[in-house]
Amino acid sequence: MKRTMRILLMMALVASLAVSLFAMGAGEAPKDTRKIINLWSFTDEVPKMVEKYKQLHPEFDYEVRTTIIATTDGAYQPALDQALAGGGDNAPDLYCAEAAFVLKYTQGDAAHFAAPYKSLGINVDAKLKEADIAPYTVDIGTNDAGDLVGLGYQATGGAFIYRRSIAKDVWGSDDPAFVTSKVGPGWDRFFAAAEDLARKGYAIVSGDGDIWHAVEGSSPQGWIVNDKLFIDPTREAFLDMSKMMLEKGYNNDTTDWTDAWFADMKDAGSKKVFGFFGPAWLINYVMAGNSGGSKPGEGTYGDWGVCEPPVGFFWGGTWVLANNQSPVKNGVGKLIEWITLDSSNTGLQYYWANGTLDGPGGTKDTVASGTVMKKSDGTLPFLGGQNMFDVFVPAGAFATGKNKTQYDETINIYWRDQVDNYANGMKTKAQAIADFKRVVADNLAIDI
Amino acid sequence: MKSIKASTITMKTVIYIVCIFLSLLSIFPFWVMIMNATRSTYQIQQTSVALFPGKSLVNNWKILTGKSFNPWVGFVNSMIISTGTTICAVYFSSLTAYALVAYTWRLRNAFFSFIMAVLMIPAQVSGIGFYQFMYKIGWTNSLLPLILPAIAAPAMVFFMRQYLMATLSLDIVASARIDGSGEFRTFNQIILPIMKPAMATQAIFTFVGSWNNLFIPLILLTRQEKYTMPIMVSLLRGDIYKTEYGSVYLGLTLTVLPLFVIYFILSKYIIAGVALGALKE
Amino acid sequence: MARKGVSYAKWGYIFSIPFVVTFIIFSLYPTLYTVVIGFTDLRGLGKTTFKFLSDPFANFTAILANVTFKQSLANTAIIWTMNFIPQITLALLLTAWFTTRRFQVKAQGAFKVLIYMPNIITAATIAILFNALFGYPKGPVNDLLIRLGFLDAPSNFHLQKWTSKGVIAFIQFWMWYGNSMIVLIAGVLGIDVTLFEAAEIDGANATQIFFRITLPRLKTIVLYVLITSMIGGLQMFDIPRLYNLGRPDNATLTSSVFIYNQAFSGSYLYNRASAASMIVFLIIVVLSVALFFIMRDKDEVKARKLERQIKRRGGVA
Repeated sequence: MKRTMRILLMMALVASLAVSLFAMGAGEAPKDTRKIINLWSFTDEVPKMVEKYKQLHPEFDYEVRTTIIATTDGAYQPALDQALAGGGDNAPDLYCAEAAFVLKYTQGDAAHFAAPYKSLGINVDAKLKEADIAPYTVDIGTNDAGDLVGLGYQATGGAFIYRRSIAKDVWGSDDPAFVTSKVGPGWDRFFAAAEDLARKGYAIVSGDGDIWHAVEGSSPQGWIVNDKLFIDPTREAFLDMSKMMLEKGYNNDTTDWTDAWFADMKDAGSKKVFGFFGPAWLINYVMAGNSGGSKPGEGTYGDWGVCEPPVGFFWGGTWVLANNQSPVKNGVGKLIEWITLDSSNTGLQYYWANGTLDGPGGTKDTVASGTVMKKSDGTLPFLGGQNMFDVFVPAGAFATGKNKTQYDETINIYWRDQVDNYANGMKTKAQAIADFKRVVADNLAIDI
Repeated sequence: MKSIKASTITMKTVIYIVCIFLSLLSIFPFWVMIMNATRSTYQIQQTSVALFPGKSLVNNWKILTGKSFNPWVGFVNSMIISTGTTICAVYFSSLTAYALVAYTWRLRNAFFSFIMAVLMIPAQVSGIGFYQFMYKIGWTNSLLPLILPAIAAPAMVFFMRQYLMATLSLDIVASARIDGSGEFRTFNQIILPIMKPAMATQAIFTFVGSWNNLFIPLILLTRQEKYTMPIMVSLLRGDIYKTEYGSVYLGLTLTVLPLFVIYFILSKYIIAGVALGALKE
Repeated sequence: MARKGVSYAKWGYIFSIPFVVTFIIFSLYPTLYTVVIGFTDLRGLGKTTFKFLSDPFANFTAILANVTFKQSLANTAIIWTMNFIPQITLALLLTAWFTTRRFQVKAQGAFKVLIYMPNIITAATIAILFNALFGYPKGPVNDLLIRLGFLDAPSNFHLQKWTSKGVIAFIQFWMWYGNSMIVLIAGVLGIDVTLFEAAEIDGANATQIFFRITLPRLKTIVLYVLITSMIGGLQMFDIPRLYNLGRPDNATLTSSVFIYNQAFSGSYLYNRASAASMIVFLIIVVLSVALFFIMRDKDEVKARKLERQIKRRGGVA
């Protein structure tokens, strides 16, 4: 009987907890009513930035409580969604979204949670102009009502990262402008270059996934047009590109992010690979470490160059958003402004671009603000001393955010699966397209 | 007689070969995990399955502890949750199973069918309902919603019931009554000891399940001081293009170590080889 | 057994209270949520209001017409069978070996511990490990097969439907046979030792003892293993999702992954996910009831027969 009593008491406790929390939620005022900011992120990048901000601005007297949930287990979005919908004291005030799913939070199903930047006390238009923010980050961060609700700090416009020694061997020159004219513009020139390389026994890329990011990012239309599934001709062409590359041996038939793909960065694959498509982060976070060396002369380190890709694209990036219901909009606004729109030498992006956030010698990266990029130095020994910003700054301008949808992550998986099946001769093109449409309709209830 | 002996020897040889093979197969993933804990991220990216150690253990440890991974806090939280869950689940499931086996009551079969039905509902959608409810009543960042639901563990009730049906002789219950033992005391002092092997196995399963549980704690616990070890490991994975694999594997290794200890402690009841059967008491 | 005067029935109710109360607090709402949502128009993220559909079964008919759902059911059945038959066979065999007194397997404590170990590692770790093992064009399995001369060039295992199904079935088998074995051994340990002793005195061999004494007594536990592994198999989720996201071409898409995709992969079709859950639930119920029915009859008949046999033999000796 005692146990029963205890359990009844427990129930009473639950009920009272619930009541007290609802009561608290109801008493929110428009001005900052507490000094705690809940920050939700999927990496420690933004939390580290906030630490730096607090260090630089001792007068910023908010306590920032950080919740980090990795995206890899598929848990970040469900957790964030519940926390946003649940509200209350632990609801996120400031939250981050990755390129793969940011549209859900700026324009899609979860857009109603996002607060317009102007409601955070930010003079949006003036600041955007002053910082010269890459247009695609603004496109993605603008909701259907035309208000800016999210911005990124990185610019993830992509380039073609190529092997200098192979360029010299095949064409006699490794000059970035020259290689740009060889691999582009457009896919026809790219595959002509692939043929040149193949004759000398090189693969132009590691796998078909490498060119997919570029194909996807450069297509005029996204997967959904007028609420219906739409296969843009440039994306449909990827089916045959993939099959042709496989048949002609233009790649090593690897899948991105697998052992074989990483191995191709240091010539450990069946054919030496000429290049990879990617933004600056790919160089610093992935390629440098996998090059088999840490200074020029070791492995492929130092034998790389960056040139313009055959088509413009971007890949990845983090956007920062604020909760509409947040009781600490002032504090959140200060953080967001410093991270996304401050183009001064003490703004986040200046530190980020020059790799000086944690002191000198850190990883350099491209940032969203053109103003910051102009006064920053992107010289890397990995690239044989080339200033990568010379290529990545214009790359940010080629990128567009208008062909993205909130379903991209899922639809891309289905698409790549069918492309693999077609390219490997397991089904006809018509069958692959029909199966693709059916899977999308079956899983997402999108009209086909 | 001799042929029996010979066949027993052949049989034993087969048994040892199969068991050793299966054991090697079992050790394999742990071996890879521990080896990777000593290798650098880039070594792991180049060959993710290796049988020999690398030299990056110290560096991986530095990355691990530098990245808001606090093994001690995680260990304590995981320990509280898993121990609490295991005790609740084992004790109350035994009690419920006893109610289903030892007593004849009108709703007994209906209740059992109900428990089985609960077990059969796919969890994907009811998960949404659970999170919504916990957020609505504000029961986030508490360890209790991760522990208390274990009191109603349908699968374990089912197991305990099956076990009791096979082993419990109602004569014991009857003789305890004659000795003047109350029902609750009979359960605690006579029935529970009979159930030791069953409780030990289920305790291991529950403990392991609870220890490795990632998704529910991840959604309900948002404060760092409440994080469990698996949550901390998942944080190490961060986003795809910057994962520090070496430290992830080190984290996984650290997470699995306490499970070994618990398993070795509890396994003595399974391994004992002595029947703790009903009539022996 | 019936006693006059005192009724103990109320203790059945009293001892069930903790379960029922806990269920009401923590699981009633989620369960009702699952059941009710299937009849509504609830889809989309963060929505809390919904209305019932004019055709209450619209979601169910939509799901039943869904080709991918049917594929997922077939996959689940195939992968489950491929995993379960070897799993229960090996678990029973090991149980027989470890509990047969004549064999006296040495170091069996160590074996029991080791064999259960795959169950300790998280599904995510195992799935990633196997994905890497079967990597293409570079991976340990490919390297090995080429070195042994079975393959001339690396094979893309991740594109082969049956290889993928087989790998998942194997992982599932390998992670769970130790668990089933431990459950069965616990069941054997609960059997009255005097039964084994009597049989040994009668000169029964190990096989006879296992089939005539151990197995019939183990029926209730075997039923448990069957039912739970069937439920677990039909709800198989982590490994197929993490191994290769249901690819290639839906070959490893199980019904639980399908339900998850309905709810979380972009369109938030909570209502359809819930309808699919209910359909899977009904399938599980039907199969379980059938199992209970089959096992129950044989169980009692055999147990009674056996008791009679033992008594008769004991009488002769």
